[in-house]
Amino acid sequence: MGRIDESVAVLLDQKGSPAIFRWRNVDFQVKSKPVRWFARADWWLGERAHRGIGAGIIEVEMWRFLATAEGKVSSFELLHNTTANSWKLLRRFE
Amino acid sequence: MRFSHLHVASGFSAHYGVNRPELLVEASKALGFDAAALTDRDGLYGAVKHMGACIKLGLSPIVGCDLPLLTDAGEPDGRIVVLAHGNDNGRGWATLCAIVSKAHKKGKHNQLGIKRSDLARLVTAGDFAACTVLIGAESDVGLAVERGDRQEAIRLLDNWLSQFAVPAALGIEVVSHLTEPGTARSSLHAKRLMQLADSKSVPCVLTNAVRYLEPDEAITADVLDAARHLEALGNFAPQPNAQAWLKPIDHMQAVALEICEDAVRAKKLMADTAALADICRLDPPTDCGWGKPKTPEKEALGIDGNPFEVLFAKAQAGIDWRYPNANTKTIATVQHRLNKELITINKLGFATYFLTVADVAQMIRDMRIRTAARGSGAGSLTNYLLGISGVDPIEHELLFERFLSTERTSLPDIDIDVESARRHDIYRAIFKRFGDKRVTLLSMQSTYRGRGAMRDAALALGLDDNQIDEIAKSMWRFSARSFRNALSVKPELAEFAEAVEQDRKMNLLVDLTERLDRIPRHISMHPCGVILGDLTLPMLTPVEPSGMGLPMSQFDKDDMDPMGLLKLDVLGVRMQSTMAYAVSEIKRVQGKEIELDEIARDDEATFELIRSTNTLGIFQIESPGQRELTGKHQPTKFNDLTIQISLFRPGPMKGNMIAPYIDARMGIAKPDYIHPDLKPILSETFGVVIFHEHVLRILHIMTGCGLAKADEMRRQLENPKSRGLIEIFFRQASAEKGYDQLTINRVWQILEGFGSFGFCKAHGAAFALPTYQSAWLKTHYPTEFLAGIMTHDPGMYPRRLLLAEARRLGVNLFGIDVNRSTNEYRVDVVDVVDSGAGSESGVSQSGEGKKVTGIRLSFVDVQGISTAETERIIAGQPYENLTDFFVRARPSRRTFERLALVGAFDDLVRATAPSATRGDIVARVKELNALKKRPELETKDSLFYNNGKDHVPAGNPEPTTSEKVAAELGLLGLDISAHVLEEFRPMLDELGVSFASELNNLRNKTNVLVAGIRVATQTPPMRSGKRVVFVSLDDGSGVSDATFFEDAQERCAHVLFNNRLLLVGGKIRRTGVRGISVMAENAWDIRELWRDWQAKQKLKAAGETGARQLELSA
Repeated sequence: MGRIDESVAVLLDQKGSPAIFRWRNVDFQVKSKPVRWFARADWWLGERAHRGIGAGIIEVEMWRFLATAEGKVSSFELLHNTTANSWKLLRRFE
Repeated sequence: MRFSHLHVASGFSAHYGVNRPELLVEASKALGFDAAALTDRDGLYGAVKHMGACIKLGLSPIVGCDLPLLTDAGEPDGRIVVLAHGNDNGRGWATLCAIVSKAHKKGKHNQLGIKRSDLARLVTAGDFAACTVLIGAESDVGLAVERGDRQEAIRLLDNWLSQFAVPAALGIEVVSHLTEPGTARSSLHAKRLMQLADSKSVPCVLTNAVRYLEPDEAITADVLDAARHLEALGNFAPQPNAQAWLKPIDHMQAVALEICEDAVRAKKLMADTAALADICRLDPPTDCGWGKPKTPEKEALGIDGNPFEVLFAKAQAGIDWRYPNANTKTIATVQHRLNKELITINKLGFATYFLTVADVAQMIRDMRIRTAARGSGAGSLTNYLLGISGVDPIEHELLFERFLSTERTSLPDIDIDVESARRHDIYRAIFKRFGDKRVTLLSMQSTYRGRGAMRDAALALGLDDNQIDEIAKSMWRFSARSFRNALSVKPELAEFAEAVEQDRKMNLLVDLTERLDRIPRHISMHPCGVILGDLTLPMLTPVEPSGMGLPMSQFDKDDMDPMGLLKLDVLGVRMQSTMAYAVSEIKRVQGKEIELDEIARDDEATFELIRSTNTLGIFQIESPGQRELTGKHQPTKFNDLTIQISLFRPGPMKGNMIAPYIDARMGIAKPDYIHPDLKPILSETFGVVIFHEHVLRILHIMTGCGLAKADEMRRQLENPKSRGLIEIFFRQASAEKGYDQLTINRVWQILEGFGSFGFCKAHGAAFALPTYQSAWLKTHYPTEFLAGIMTHDPGMYPRRLLLAEARRLGVNLFGIDVNRSTNEYRVDVVDVVDSGAGSESGVSQSGEGKKVTGIRLSFVDVQGISTAETERIIAGQPYENLTDFFVRARPSRRTFERLALVGAFDDLVRATAPSATRGDIVARVKELNALKKRPELETKDSLFYNNGKDHVPAGNPEPTTSEKVAAELGLLGLDISAHVLEEFRPMLDELGVSFASELNNLRNKTNVLVAGIRVATQTPPMRSGKRVVFVSLDDGSGVSDATFFEDAQERCAHVLFNNRLLLVGGKIRRTGVRGISVMAENAWDIRELWRDWQAKQKLKAAGETGARQLELSA
């Protein structure tokens, strides 16, 4: 298992789950039913927390699934910041 | 698809929930739900507001409670939710109340919670359960599932099932907050718990364990968690994410699908939840007694027969008592008015209510405790005749209709003021009289406001207390909700605003403080409310122990009317204690009996004193603003006091009523009555409409609508929406009665502008009575009165200012004396043998053996003295000598030395060693304190006792007056020997500072400097909305009042709010005969000036010597 923490581009399927993501110019096909959950963030390390700032500073969406590229299957964990709509590859489990 | 949320916490779940119940109900309505549940933690604090909102919006209310469960041994055993069943004639509601009350009866472990066996007994008393207990993620079963211990979970659930073996008693609650699979609150755990329920055929429901309305508010919930844990964020396990919000039905459906992974099972989960919700829909009128007035039964009042007939007889008997020598005409007026009132009371069915209040009032009088009515109740003749109020409504032209009418059906409020020191005695007596099944205290919720919000926000961020102390002190007169906005406009926050820009944490502090504002914080005993009901009371309201031990309802004052509960306000008023104390001291020292309620209300000397504006200590008119108004107003009779008290209120002030009234009264402007018909109504206020009673009478006389209807219209005038209808009616009806258009236009203009600005005259008149009584005591018995004020501390000023007032009035002050002081400020009579150096000040010079009366200061002011020490000292009085005191009173070393430093032993020691100085005495005390072992009482060691005399060393100096003052201020917070400002006198003289007592001789707009110790700071509401700060300074000669407008505040905001000793520069502003204040331009810290001045003096002295040396050498 390795922590990666790099930005990735993600294509979603009709249900809104990741279907393909591109990491280091390689496209990975999602091969299992993705598991989604919500994890939290330590917003008090940031600058602002005013009323109405949104749950984006306290909560992130997480996805875990098996994906394949170049014939090799691995498990991946992606972080989705719903406020900024940005995606990160957090971990890869070989 | 149907669904209802069954587990929802509001802000009334202290340090847990975020939103007002009303807001949650509104949101539920908007989301399309047809029922809304409230299940606050530990109580039903928000239940009435919740039901009220549901009724208003047409939703079915569901109420439950999230409670800690205890093992039968009293150990914590997780949490459960208890939901009351509805539409069962109150069985479910009464059981829920009983469960919550039981949970608050703490057992030997002092643990809040309900034992499983108690819960089972209460829930299952019948063929069908009265409530459903939800076993969820935080229960023993849920926790076992979370641990992965299925066998244990099965065993625990079997245990529940065996104890709750009636239909609908139990349900399994599953929650998924969509956390990482396999962690707490994950769908996986929810599924396992559901499978367990299915295997045992227990109904299973889905909730979202809601804590907030919107995901954004999860941040607020984080801060509340920190406050609950008393830990900074990051130091405890926080909520897993922001999913505990009030989700709409489609979100809940998705959650159900994710848990079940099976559409059929998910559908059943939703349907079972809706089915339980249906059982729990409450019908507030039949289940909770909603809106039905409840008063003590006849048996409880000790009457048989018709309550109205009893009331009628009692009121009739009151006529002879209240009007013993009245002529036939007066009696006829009284009789007519009484009949009118009694008809209304009978129509409303409130006879038992009046009998109950009269009964309590009589009981208080029988206890020899002073009472007075307050509020609109003083407008009722019935109340006057029953002895509930002490002001004659006929003489003072007060209207019953303002208090009660058939146009309104809400229970009227009767408030009774009593001696604050005896308030708890009265509560206990009421409980004894009516029994604790019919009586409970009222509670109140304090909510997060400015400073409190900031402190808990700081705690969450891990900021130090002293980092925010300074800022918290500067939070004046703005709501925490608009904190960030205040940063840019309030000059005293300028420094902090800069810190916010540079410091990330300070920036967050502002955001979090704003978030906490107005969220309920904790429950406490209402300062005066007692709920009186019938024997159904325990089935209608949950109770918990109050601070004083008596049971207290979890409902607050706003919940009383909807629940049909009768609230009696028995308000402890320190002034009543003060006056009772003064009267008892007059009797003890002078042997005179004074019946304060009987004294004539036209004593010229009393009004003379009031007009002098030396009103410090007088009820209601001692504040700086009232003093200034007194100077302008110059009251000459009782009704003037009523008017003045009513004028100095936010409404009349905002409505700009003061100036026109004063001008007309002083003859500067001619009174304008608009129409001759209105002159009898408005002559008391020279044509200015001030009182609600004025409006009622004007409406009645010009439209013939009747006073009851007039009061309804007055209430509607406050509402811009209904005002239009009133205008149409008023114009039409008054035109029909023949009033001309000009009059109608002008009167309507006044009525329209009156809005919410006026004041109820009955309130003012009820207040004027203790005002007059306290002024009378101050005039004729200043020593006893000031002793009462110092003992019961009723006013707004510090005790040291009262000493200054005593000195000004020539009242003698005697220092603390171990043989004569007590824990009260007693009036003491001492024989004066010589007038030489002693601890007494202000003693008149003449002759030997003279008896002098004064106030003996009390031990309570000695810093750090404990109640136990004080009690020991008093119990051991009198003492023969210092050693005797040391051995028998057993003071702590610190207290012993402090007593010596403030001269408490001066007289004791000098009785045998006349030449001993205070320095000598302190030296001896230090010797005794240095002893390793305190001598025993029995030993009578000759070394100590020396034949009853103290070994006092000689040769230590007597402290100077300023050293004495320093010791007194440091140890007592009082300056007995001289005023604190005297230390700075040389500098103040050089600066040309004026005395407060001299200001009256100065012309308007004279430039002036005043100095003093701050005795009050006020920021009253202003018509313009701009902030004005009033600061009162005492300099020993009197009190000067300085007014700071916004530009002046900007110049000196920091000094203005943070320093005690102030020098203020500005211009004299004369506002009437004796009305005077300083319009401030700037303010300085005296201590800071003093340091500079002293440095300059030294430099000057050095310069002079230097110059002389130069001359010599030249």
